Amino acid sequence: MTYTPFTQWLLNTGINQQVLELLLAVMVLATIVSVARYIIGTKSYGIYAPIILAIAYSYTGLRYGLAITLVVILTTLFSYTILKKIRMHYIARIAVNYCLLAILLVIFFIIVKKFGLGLENMPYISGLAVISIAAISDFFIKQYVKKSFKTSVLILFSTVAIAALGWFVITRDVVTNYMLNNLWIVPILIALNILVGQFTGLRIKDLFRFKSVISNKDNVGK
Amino acid sequence: MWGNSRFSDILGLNRRNQEYVRPFNPPSAKRLADNKISTKKMLAREGINAPEVYKIIKNRKQLAFLDWESLPKGFVVKPNQGTGGNGILVLYGKKKGELAWIRPGGGYITKKDLILHIENILEGQFSMGERSDIAIIEERVKNDPFLKQYSYKGVPDLRIICFNQVPIMAMMRIPTKRSNGTANLHSGAICTGIDIGTGITTYSMQMNSKSLFSDTYEMIDSTQDLKINKKLSGIQIPNWDNILEIAVRCQKASKLGYVGVDIAIDAEKGPVVFELNARPGLGIQVANQAGLRWRLEKVKGVQVKSIKHGIRVAKNLFGGEIEGSIEAISGRKVVNINEKVTLFYKSYKANTKDENKGREVTRAFVDTGNLTSRISRSYASRIGYFETLKRFEYIKCPKQFESFKDAQSYIDEYSKNSGTDVNIIRLAKLFEDGKIVVRPVIIVKIKISGEIKDVEMIITDDTTHSIVLGRSDLKDYLIDTSKTFK
Repeated sequence: MTYTPFTQWLLNTGINQQVLELLLAVMVLATIVSVARYIIGTKSYGIYAPIILAIAYSYTGLRYGLAITLVVILTTLFSYTILKKIRMHYIARIAVNYCLLAILLVIFFIIVKKFGLGLENMPYISGLAVISIAAISDFFIKQYVKKSFKTSVLILFSTVAIAALGWFVITRDVVTNYMLNNLWIVPILIALNILVGQFTGLRIKDLFRFKSVISNKDNVGK
Repeated sequence: MWGNSRFSDILGLNRRNQEYVRPFNPPSAKRLADNKISTKKMLAREGINAPEVYKIIKNRKQLAFLDWESLPKGFVVKPNQGTGGNGILVLYGKKKGELAWIRPGGGYITKKDLILHIENILEGQFSMGERSDIAIIEERVKNDPFLKQYSYKGVPDLRIICFNQVPIMAMMRIPTKRSNGTANLHSGAICTGIDIGTGITTYSMQMNSKSLFSDTYEMIDSTQDLKINKKLSGIQIPNWDNILEIAVRCQKASKLGYVGVDIAIDAEKGPVVFELNARPGLGIQVANQAGLRWRLEKVKGVQVKSIKHGIRVAKNLFGGEIEGSIEAISGRKVVNINEKVTLFYKSYKANTKDENKGREVTRAFVDTGNLTSRISRSYASRIGYFETLKRFEYIKCPKQFESFKDAQSYIDEYSKNSGTDVNIIRLAKLFEDGKIVVRPVIIVKIKISGEIKDVEMIITDDTTHSIVLGRSDLKDYLIDTSKTFK
């Protein structure tokens, strides 16, 4: 494939194409998280978790990524519910949770190998991608300690949804190639984020939250 | 349904952070509010009551040497830099003969578990950014007997938002069984709006437990899970003026331009300040069914000379939830909670021989919790609307509706067809005895404070008060609460 002179110059200067693609993906993903937070009002586990999940999904494929995410979360819920009943320190509890998670992931891979479950390519999944997805366990517990189960699951769902959207965008060849050949988009992304950062309007979620106030015409201006 | 002009009156999270928290709350003031120990020191300097601190535990060594016997039977353990009520443990009393304490739900926590909880606080499990933290053991607020009747186990607390030394909006958070005795709205505590002018409660909302989104509320009119449920609107908060003054004093002392002050009423000490919040939540708008932004904009440029002046500005601008300028309001008449009014019969004709026969003097109850005024069924019949009521019965309006949406659809359908009776100007939906019902609205001539006016009244079932005056007819009046229960 031929690139624009600037992109070609960057690649010739010693920047790995894959690294450049990843860095561009990070910028796009960060923008998606920022828009989701301040325009839509979707909470996620910070900005790091959805970015790392989306990149991990791009390595595993969405189906495999979601399956591993599901196993990680179910294991975390199961182990944390049991561990909560045992008197122990917080970090030690998280450490035991990770041990259990590792064991259950191994069991899961064995089951997949034996029964297929439509995930026949699981042995070829990058270990680093699996570990990246497993890290969501920590984010989930940190929320679950402070918030209710429902809120924690809701934030998890939002994080995975944003990551899935991010995965969809960054895995489109047309997007990647366009970004590589049109690096002027980078300052545009920065400008967009500055605009989002200064947005003072209501988030879409606020519209639903304050629906009852707004729907009664006599209520608001008093 | 959602006109832009109305949306502009609501304060969203983006604007709160950009236009109020960041410009008006300097970092040093935010640090003070985020640190409960520093806040308590500041409150003590200002002579403002706060729960007494029994012990401050900074590290494991201090925890190991803690003299448990020196603690009173009931106390509260909380992280110094906790957020959203996380890590707070309220202990009601000691289990006889054991080192274990009673929790709000009736369960126990042993000394070992309590030590572990404090260790988790020290490790920063409940704190902002998970930095290591300090644990505070402090006095448990004793529930005020008057407010206790509305609450399940815990203590109701008052949140007052102040800006530019003016109390802007207030609500009461009432613990419920669903919230496990805590005043946390996300757990199911009730939030009740408070009229700034009078300290009387208005609307009540509770987070919808069935909703997929955690931030949607449903309107309720009484407590939900007490043995005897109580009506939540029309409650007079004790010491209201004093509470407003404390809130503004807190704001002034903390140097937070935009602050949420949390106050509880202790049975012995009176109002005590729990904490200051530099980023107060926006659910208060739902509780009051009113927009914060409008109010904040209104007081933005006002030169507030003193605490009393700030409270006066708030009462005049937002009291009785009445829109208008201070100048316009200063000439308003005063009505009592139980105001004497003259009611004119439907057949009343002025300047006739029988003029006096066509009217009678009665008492009207002033309830800021209602928007439209109300008249009881039997009273409406007596003053000449018997036939109107009969005709309304002919249309066989359902006795109750599943939701306000259903009721509104019925009203919309009704308004499309020709009216049942000329005296029924419209239908209104309302909560009555825990049911959503639709009732006819008529116009009644009434004399309040020497002024005759036509008032829209919803005909309701017979209740304690034959006539109830709602907010829409109280625009030109100030409400004197000093005669509330006389």
